[in-house]
Amino acid sequence: MSVELGIIAQQFVNGLTLGGMYALLALGYTLVYGILLMINFAHAEMFMFGAYVGLFTLQGLSRIEFFTSSGPALLLLYLLTFLIAMVATGILGVIIERFAYRPLRHAPRLAPLISAIGVSLFLQNAALLWISSRSLPFPVLFEVRTFRIGGASISSMQILIITVTILLMLVLDTFISRTRLGKSMRATSQDRETAGLMGIDINRVIALTFFIGPALGGAAGIFSGMYYGNIKYNMGFIPGIKAFTAAVVGGIGNLRGAMLGGFLIGLLESLAAAYISTGYKDVIAFVILIIVLIFKPGGLLGESVAEKV
Amino acid sequence: MSVAKSKRLFAIIAMLVMLAMVVTACGGNDGAENGGDNPGGDLVEVKIGVSSPFTGDVAALGTGIRNGAQLAIEEAAPELEEMGISLSMLAVDDAADPKTGVNAANQMVSDSAVVGIVAHLNSGVSIPASAVYNEAGVVQVSPASTNPALTLQGFENVFRVCTIDTVQGSFAAEYAYDELGFTSVAVIDDSTPYGEGLAAEFAAAFEAKGGEITSTDKIQVKDLDFTALVTKIRSANPDLIYFGGMYTEAALVSKQSKEAGFEGPVMGGDGLYTQQYIDIAGAANAEGDFATSIGLPLSEQPKGQEFQDMFEATFPGQTIEAYDTYAYDATMVVVEAIKAVAADLGADAVTSVAGKQAIIEAVAVTDMQGVTGNVSFDENGDTTNKAVTPYVVRDGAWVPYTD
Repeated sequence: MSVELGIIAQQFVNGLTLGGMYALLALGYTLVYGILLMINFAHAEMFMFGAYVGLFTLQGLSRIEFFTSSGPALLLLYLLTFLIAMVATGILGVIIERFAYRPLRHAPRLAPLISAIGVSLFLQNAALLWISSRSLPFPVLFEVRTFRIGGASISSMQILIITVTILLMLVLDTFISRTRLGKSMRATSQDRETAGLMGIDINRVIALTFFIGPALGGAAGIFSGMYYGNIKYNMGFIPGIKAFTAAVVGGIGNLRGAMLGGFLIGLLESLAAAYISTGYKDVIAFVILIIVLIFKPGGLLGESVAEKV
Repeated sequence: MSVAKSKRLFAIIAMLVMLAMVVTACGGNDGAENGGDNPGGDLVEVKIGVSSPFTGDVAALGTGIRNGAQLAIEEAAPELEEMGISLSMLAVDDAADPKTGVNAANQMVSDSAVVGIVAHLNSGVSIPASAVYNEAGVVQVSPASTNPALTLQGFENVFRVCTIDTVQGSFAAEYAYDELGFTSVAVIDDSTPYGEGLAAEFAAAFEAKGGEITSTDKIQVKDLDFTALVTKIRSANPDLIYFGGMYTEAALVSKQSKEAGFEGPVMGGDGLYTQQYIDIAGAANAEGDFATSIGLPLSEQPKGQEFQDMFEATFPGQTIEAYDTYAYDATMVVVEAIKAVAADLGADAVTSVAGKQAIIEAVAVTDMQGVTGNVSFDENGDTTNKAVTPYVVRDGAWVPYTD
């Protein structure tokens, strides 16, 4: 492989790593929209919350000598960290739904939106005041290796992030399309009232949705911490906007669309930074996305459903 | 009906209670302020305003500035008390943000007891805030803002005790080319007045030396992902990456460039010279990176040891950051001016408009032996002490570079 090709390959890997994080976060926006037709603006904070829980779990558990003694033990440490952070973020998502959104379920559609913005501000400021206003370093306890293939250098961290992201997506996709619970989620998404009449416990399905989305967002937050080496109270804001865009571009409400949209934005951003201008990378990426939406207003994989009158 | 009634009653009571609290709170404050003015009889209340980021990413540097200023004020207070002045500090957070900084500036100058300002870390904050101080006729001495534009606005009340970027950028370029033997460099800046100014000075001086600039790029503050940029830089394979900006982004550039297979070091200005840079980049990635910082290392400053002893006695357990000694000297400059004016016009006149003007004039002719060396100002208000020191990361810590 020539050096030129290698560099292009490396830019693709850079973009896929970034896109993987956007995609995981985008799934949360699209899941909630699919079921409730609401945009959960507090979702960006799940990214931040997951990263903080991940950091504290990692710091706490790594004090126990066993976990840092051998390779398999270290793997167990990271598995536990992800598990605890994802469950904690998921539970936070369920609590937010119960107290901030459920009371407003029959209110005008603007009300839960404002409530979501309030939750987002609350969580950001809580982290700012109770944890720290500064970036906290996120330790990496294993050695990050860099592999050279032709002109490309790909780090083991990038491979890890891309692999685990795809794995989580496959699990989610199977869960939604193959299991009973997944089927009830799809039914609720199609028609909430009829699904309720058919004996599906709507509140449970919605709570489940608010568990899965934030759990995936929390995992993306830990990846961000591991990849960039630090986390901060407002770290969710920019990825949140990009992930939301990814969900819209993929066709909001469509899971595979959110995944596709996330990877697409990551790639566009990386390639624009590499071959056009770093300062304008976001401008370029978003201009392309606007063009996509002009020609396909429902998003890439979205169905253009006529509004019921 | 009765439920609605009791609800309304509750709301009315709640509002009354809140009103009562507000009123008593105001009353309490007034009482305290009056009490503060009167006892002791004749002491004139004089304040020095101190503003830098106490929160946010660069809070380490900002609280260091406050610490330095506090040491100077505590040291000077007894002497000023004998002259009939009670000196205190008014510290306001600027959050490293231009808007917050201008608010902080307005807050400080609206207090008529504030006769001098020791402020702002970031040039991007200092420049807009300096207009507020100029309008109010209050002297500003910056301990750390290095963009040349700050003192070129024609404001006679603006001074700084730190070296400017023109000096720092060209020093870094000459050092990188002559002493370290780097001949090609990729330049990145963070689109702020500080970062842009520094990177431009560096690039101009490096090219003048005969070095090659392989690329110049701009990034945005708060960006996290520079992998695409460093991959591009790596393909041109320069000897060095020069970063104009603060450590938050610089550390990520260092980490991501090393992980992308770039083999040279990252170099930058005083914005990188803090332990946080190494913590975020990771010690292995930061190893061998360079930073220039204004002034001499603490151990080589004339009164460095004295300052360190004083600091450790007042702030046990804290470390001395890059600008603490500069903030101390900047505060002492204002203190000396207050003393001169109080001796000339009397203690009561210090807080008057004429007194504040006299303080500006007294600062302009400062000639003082500070912790950082001799402190005096040229016609723009820049320090005449133009020392710059190169540092390198060795074993996870910044140390002065010696070959």
